[in-house]
Amino acid sequence: MNATARLFWVLVVFNLVLAAVYSVWHWIDTGTIEWVGTIGLALVAILSALIGFYVGRVLKSQPAVLAEDRLDANIDDGDAEQGFFSPWSWWPVLLAGGAALVFLGLAVGIWIAIIGGVLGLVFLVGWTYEYHRGYFGH
Amino acid sequence: MWLGSEVMFFAGLFAIYFTLRSTAPELWALQSSKLNITFSGINTGILVASSFTCQMGVFAAERLQPKRTSWKLKEWGMAEWFFVTYVMGAIFVIGQIFEYATLVSEGVGLSSDAYGSAFYLTTGFHGLHVTGGLIAFLLVIGRGYAAKNFGHKEATSAIVVSYYWHFVDVVWVGLFAVIYLLK
Repeated sequence: MNATARLFWVLVVFNLVLAAVYSVWHWIDTGTIEWVGTIGLALVAILSALIGFYVGRVLKSQPAVLAEDRLDANIDDGDAEQGFFSPWSWWPVLLAGGAALVFLGLAVGIWIAIIGGVLGLVFLVGWTYEYHRGYFGH
Repeated sequence: MWLGSEVMFFAGLFAIYFTLRSTAPELWALQSSKLNITFSGINTGILVASSFTCQMGVFAAERLQPKRTSWKLKEWGMAEWFFVTYVMGAIFVIGQIFEYATLVSEGVGLSSDAYGSAFYLTTGFHGLHVTGGLIAFLLVIGRGYAAKNFGHKEATSAIVVSYYWHFVDVVWVGLFAVIYLLK
């Protein structure tokens, strides 16, 4: 986490320097300041500071050591939690079919889209509650 | 990842709006004078307020409390706060439909001119997003009632829907500033 925060602070300095160089260079070249690029680069610096500050606060409240911070880490130590995805659910396939009917209806005839919309709603509910009812109810 | 792609999507819509506006400033002056800023300002206030009620629902979900234990606001659960949020979001959409109807009667249509196209594309896609958020709220409220043990799985789905809702709210504040306030 520390390395991540520092990376963003490096980006802040880098972009501030670039904004100054860009602005001064343009002024020497044409005698005017080019605002779009100057403000753009300064904004990138500010946004980097925002993320750097946020990551720093997270580090302070919860001193986490990421795999990236350790020299002895392996690549699979950095595997992120990807969330839970059903390995065999049919609902996404059906839902995609409903969405396909909606778009087919927009192109061919609106009555198909209405049927697709109703089917899509049924399949959406089926997918959302797949792990909240029956055998998986909790 | 999803919100990031949404940011890019709305950035494209803003670019459409600004490009068309820069090519037809007189048309913009004429058509934007038909906007009812008081009405849409109140509507905006309702949507912004709904982000706060949504966040109260998230706090309840983080306490792992799906339902109220009494009518006192402090003891409301996720479902009650999300129902309030739902009603406010629905009022926003209804207000927008009313606004569309008024504008169409005043000659601002989707295909009438560049202003109409830009106006309805930007606000219309935002309205579709609000409607999608309303459906998501119903699904999450349903999960709150379906779960016998309201746990972190249910709380997480409430939190991600709130992220989406805050995002749609912030986009509207940007759209409102650009379309209604920026002269």
